[in-house]
Amino acid sequence: MTPDLKLLDVNGVAIGIKRRKRETLVIVREANFDVNYGEMVGIVGESGSGKTMICRAIIGTLERRGASVIGGEVLFEGLDLRTINEAKWKTLRGKVIGYVPQSALAGPNPVLTIEKQLAEALSQVEGTGSMKNRSKELLDLVKIRRVETVMKQYPYQLSGGMRQRVMIACALASKPKLLIADEPTTGLDVTVQSQIMELLREIRRDLGTAIILISHDLALVDEVCDKIVVMHAGATVEVGPTASMAKPRHPYTVALNSSRIDVAKPGGELLTIKGNPPSVGQWNPGCRFAERCDYVQQDCLVGDHPALSGKKGEHQSACLHADKIGKI
Amino acid sequence: MSKKGRKVRPEGTFAVFIGTGMMAAILLAGLLIPRFGKYDANEISADQILPPSSLHYFGTDMLGRDVFARVFDAVFIDIGTAFIGVLIPLAVGTIIGTLLGISRNRRINSFIGSLIDGINAFPFLIFVIALVAFLGAGLSSIILALSLVNWARYARIARTRAVVVNQQGYVEAARTLGYKPTRILFRHIIPNVSSETRAYALSDFTIVIIAVAALSFLGLGVNPPQAEWGAMIKDGANIITLAWWTAVFPGLAICWTGISVAVFSEGLTKRISEGNQQ
Amino acid sequence: MEVENVSVTFGSGSNAVEAVKKCSLTVNAGEPIGIVGESGSGKSTLARVMAGLQPPSAGEIRFRGDNVFKGNKSFQSGNRNQVQMVFQDPYGSLNPQLTGLSAVAEAVRIHTKVGKDEAEQKALELLERMGIGKLDALKQPRQLSGGQRQRVSVARALSANPTVLLADEPTSAIDQSAQAQLLKLFLGLLNDGLAIVLVSHDLGVIRYLTKRVYVMKDGVFVESGDTETVFNDPQEDYTKMLLASIPGELGKAARAKLKR
Repeated sequence: MTPDLKLLDVNGVAIGIKRRKRETLVIVREANFDVNYGEMVGIVGESGSGKTMICRAIIGTLERRGASVIGGEVLFEGLDLRTINEAKWKTLRGKVIGYVPQSALAGPNPVLTIEKQLAEALSQVEGTGSMKNRSKELLDLVKIRRVETVMKQYPYQLSGGMRQRVMIACALASKPKLLIADEPTTGLDVTVQSQIMELLREIRRDLGTAIILISHDLALVDEVCDKIVVMHAGATVEVGPTASMAKPRHPYTVALNSSRIDVAKPGGELLTIKGNPPSVGQWNPGCRFAERCDYVQQDCLVGDHPALSGKKGEHQSACLHADKIGKI
Repeated sequence: MSKKGRKVRPEGTFAVFIGTGMMAAILLAGLLIPRFGKYDANEISADQILPPSSLHYFGTDMLGRDVFARVFDAVFIDIGTAFIGVLIPLAVGTIIGTLLGISRNRRINSFIGSLIDGINAFPFLIFVIALVAFLGAGLSSIILALSLVNWARYARIARTRAVVVNQQGYVEAARTLGYKPTRILFRHIIPNVSSETRAYALSDFTIVIIAVAALSFLGLGVNPPQAEWGAMIKDGANIITLAWWTAVFPGLAICWTGISVAVFSEGLTKRISEGNQQ
Repeated sequence: MEVENVSVTFGSGSNAVEAVKKCSLTVNAGEPIGIVGESGSGKSTLARVMAGLQPPSAGEIRFRGDNVFKGNKSFQSGNRNQVQMVFQDPYGSLNPQLTGLSAVAEAVRIHTKVGKDEAEQKALELLERMGIGKLDALKQPRQLSGGQRQRVSVARALSANPTVLLADEPTSAIDQSAQAQLLKLFLGLLNDGLAIVLVSHDLGVIRYLTKRVYVMKDGVFVESGDTETVFNDPQEDYTKMLLASIPGELGKAARAKLKR
């Protein structure tokens, strides 16, 4: 393993949906970030920012939705994921790269007991010991108590938080190097949320799994992640180590930060971001944040969307006037 | 979404056009041909069992009647009966099903509920045939029988849907806002329930067309000499080896109608699902 | 508004579940209060009872002195408009067949008995206040984001000119930025004199908006008091746990305290 080899390198990736007789609908225009081994990276953005699509590209489920990577490269341990075929994907997906879907969605297969569910996940992987014991180990890993009881239950008998833990357990069955958690706590109570976050932290610590955490909640990501990637309207607008991101260098991140509930004074000024996130595909020329930006200048409205400054690994920002931020 | 405001045609529109076109074509023909066609549908002549020619496009039947004229004379009878035979159960079934779905009265719910389940348990066609035989042949009997049997199928769909709709936020909001119950029922609940029953109605239409034709085939439909596709097929079936055109053309008319509805509903489904993907 | 010893029981016999057990609280004019608890604590049930959607099994709800549930239906004395509610799920709160404008205009027409055009005009104004422009008002719910739908729901509720607005987890299903917009909106409404009862599992949200809070667990209020006080000096372990779960800075502070 060369020291420079990153676990995941997303370079200028664009994703689009090809429509018949129409232009390709571009959903992600320019995504740029990397994930090192054992790192916890948070991807933050509003709905429609493209954050989920990027993860589909990493896990290889784009084709199913008629989308494909139309630009850039997605390198997993040096392997370009755009070039591999389905057979190769089968060796990666669910084995080396794990995925935990949004908690609000279906979750575990409703007609299988938890035991069967885990067995299915484990059958893909070699291991020692009986299936039952390995399943119990997994449930232990996600801190489910009363393992015996839960094994025999069906998903509908479990609470949202428990179901999510089961999904995490299934994803961890193969001890993946990279785990993608797509809004794992949306719709769950804050108490459950903090437990799941704690769980992810422990998994990272004990298993050394790198985790990509997708969320719309900056406060959540700020607390647990090593690196934060901010996406807006299909492009990465800012990326950097969490500590450095405390002083954001892109107006969007600044705005997100100011709209955080946990740092606002009760009943006090709560800055909100003007307007609404642009719908997929309806992007204006120039910087796509321009019409909602407090710092907008004339040159922000023309030309291409600004590129990310600096080098990968540093604190990068896609704002033409990053240096002015904080002074206004 | 395309650039520069070019109008985007949703997927499925083509199918909707085709379906509507086909239905419009046959309805138009059913309107114009009996009025302006060469031959009268019931005109008996000595030119019996003539194959299709430039004089008689679909040939003649055993009584010398022009098959072409007869096929289109039957359009409104067949399609009209089927239409009413779907409309009545749709309306009645939707309303009863919805009321059942939102009612909290246990006794009424279980009573009518069992009634619905009971009716649905019988095979549709057999039940209808039995009823028509009981009521006596004729179009009005057919419509009555269809209504009596089919409303239950719509009611079941409506009831399940109504239960869900009733729990939705917008219905509760309507209650908190103090809307009158009739308004809530007719403007909020029923439109959202009927979206499902109307979808079922489209597929039901094809079945009902066939049922109407089948009943006439069995002699339970219209009285002769009125032209009707099922009856024509019955008459033609006897001489099918001699004169295939007497049975095939009415059959094609049924197919045409059925396909037009099927294509239409396919297109509609595609349009709706693409709309939802936005 | 007064809630006195209200209990709500679902089911009967051996299946009976008491969702709310003898809870009492008061809502004063222009005062924001919060009811916080996890899923299953009974808070949504309590809110629905307060909104007149469901009668309590025991106890009384009074609005301006009148018993809300006198007789068969709620709010018989013509006060129905005064207490309105915004629900949790933005995806079910709006009739999918009506545009935002139609939904709000309908409400306006019913409550103020004006003509169709005037109602639409008022509806547009109301929606504008909520940050929904004319273009968006003409869209169908499925074309709007979660945050936008919530704001349309609020506009609809406001068209009845209520004095009390109950909000059941209004921010749970929407993005952080949309959350901020909605809360800012609520703050504005508070300043206009509306009493808001905010039900949530997120103490951060409660802290931002409310002056008094009731902490609910398994149908009972385990702690209540001024929001600031409860935050800085929680008495009950359950409250402390809730505080520690808030993501971000608030939670950090609470967790630090817990460790001490």
